[in-house]
Amino acid sequence: GYLPANVDRRESTLQRKRKEYFAFVEQYYDSRNDESHQDTYRQIHIDIPRMSPEVLRLQPKVTEIFERILFIWAIRHPASGYVQGINDLVTPFFVVFVCEYIEEEEVENFDVSSLPEEVLHNIEADSYWCMSKLLDGIQDNYTFAQPGIQKKVKMLEELVSRIDEQVHRHLDQHEVKYLQFAFRWMNNLLMREVPLRCTIRLWDTYQSEPEGFSHFHLYVCAAFLVRWRKEILEEKDFQELLIFLQNLPTVHWGNEDISVLLAEAYRLKFAFADAPNHYKK
Amino acid sequence: MQKHNQKEHLYKLLVIGDLGVGKTSIIKRYVHQNFSPHYRATIGVDFALKVLNWDAETVVRLQLWDIAGQERFGNMTRVYYREAMGAFIVFDVTRPATFEAVTKWKEDLDSKLVLPNGKPVPAVLLANKCDQGIDVLMNNGIKMEQFCKENGFVGWFETSAKENININEASRCLVKHIIASESDPVQSIEPDIIKPHLNSSKIVSCSACFKS
Repeated sequence: GYLPANVDRRESTLQRKRKEYFAFVEQYYDSRNDESHQDTYRQIHIDIPRMSPEVLRLQPKVTEIFERILFIWAIRHPASGYVQGINDLVTPFFVVFVCEYIEEEEVENFDVSSLPEEVLHNIEADSYWCMSKLLDGIQDNYTFAQPGIQKKVKMLEELVSRIDEQVHRHLDQHEVKYLQFAFRWMNNLLMREVPLRCTIRLWDTYQSEPEGFSHFHLYVCAAFLVRWRKEILEEKDFQELLIFLQNLPTVHWGNEDISVLLAEAYRLKFAFADAPNHYKK
Repeated sequence: MQKHNQKEHLYKLLVIGDLGVGKTSIIKRYVHQNFSPHYRATIGVDFALKVLNWDAETVVRLQLWDIAGQERFGNMTRVYYREAMGAFIVFDVTRPATFEAVTKWKEDLDSKLVLPNGKPVPAVLLANKCDQGIDVLMNNGIKMEQFCKENGFVGWFETSAKENININEASRCLVKHIIASESDPVQSIEPDIIKPHLNSSKIVSCSACFKS
C-alpha cells in the first residue's frame, strides 16, 4: 500500500493523503466542464453507470464519488488520461472500505448514502490513493495504443505455448487470437472474468506480491486459461471457442477456486522465473 | 438438419462507433432478443453469433464483432477489422458529437480494410436511440441520403435497441449488399447510387435497398 511501514506514522500519513486528495478536488473538479476537459468528464460520466456490481453503481452518491475519483486521476495523469476499464478498478477498493462499516453480505443491497458524510469522504480519498497506487505500477497499460497490454498479451501467448502446447495449438488451429479474449483480462485485471468477491481475494494476493499487478498477473492469466483446457479442447470451432472464452462460467466461483488458481500460478512462476528458456523448444 | 442443397455463408460484421451509442445493446437485441439499460462498457472486442435462414436454400451465419468505442484512439482496430465483410457504424441521435465521429470511424475503417476486390466494405449507418424523441438529424437539417452518398454508406436506418426498431431490417440490408458484392466480385459494385425517393417513410429508410 501507500502507507509507511512505521505504524506510528500511518495515521498521520492517512490524514495528510486525505487532505491532499480533497485539495485536488478543490483545485481541479470545477474544470470538468471546461473545453479541454469536458471530453474526459463526459466519457467518465457515460461509463460509470456501465460498471459492476449493478446495485452499487446505480446509486447517485456512488456515481458522484466515482466521477470525482476518476476525473481527478485522469487530470493528474495526462499521459494516459481516462481509459475505459479504469473505472472498474476503483470498485474493489471502494467495496472493501465500505465493508468496514457493514456486513459483507449486505453490500449487495446497501444504501451508501446512509453512511455519515465524513466516512464517505474518507472512503473516497482512500479509494483514490489505492487505485492510484495500483495504476502507478501498470501505467503503460493505459497510455496511447496501450503498449503494456499488447506486450502482456504476447507474453501470455508465449507462456501458454510453453506450458500447454496442446491448448495453444488448438487455439491457433481454430484461428483464435489471444488478443480477442485476453485484452480484457489485462485491461481489467480479470475483474470482468470472475465475481467481485473473487477479484477482491485475487487482488489481496497481488498486493502482497512484489509486482503483483504488473507481473504475477501474467502467470495467473496463464493458469486461468489452462484451467479450462478440457472445455477448450472440446470446442471444435472458432465461434464456439471465442464465445466460451469471453463468457467463462465463473458465476459460482469462491475463495477456493481462487486459491487453486493462485497455487497453480505460483507453480508456473517458480518453474519459469529462474529459467526463462526452460520450456522453449 | 441441413438439407443437401443448402448453401451456407459465414460473414464477419463489425459494429463500430463512439462509446455509449448502443453497439452492445443493438447486438444483444439482435442476437438474444432482449434489452437492458445497464450493459457494461465493452473492453476490447466482444463476439456474438447470429444465424439467419436467409431463404429456402441459404443459411447465413453472422459473426458480430462489437468493438469498444474507445478503440479508435488506440491502434487496435486494425487487428479487429481483419477479414470483415461488412460494418455497421452506429451513432446516438441524442448526442451530436457521436454523429460527427461517424465520418472518422468510416475513414478509419476504409483506411485499414478493403474487400479482396479492392472495394471498401459495405457499411450501413445506424441512427440509434430513435425512441428518445430527441433527433439531432432533424434539428440540424442534415440530409441523411446525401450524407450516406457522400460518405459511401450503402444505407441508413433509424434504430432503437430498446424498442426493437429496424435492427433486423438494417441487418438484412447489409447482408443483401454483402451477398451482392460476393456473387459479383468482378463487376463494379455501385449500389451506392441512391435513387431519390421523396415520399419514403422515415422509418424504412435504407435508401440503397430500394434497388431490389
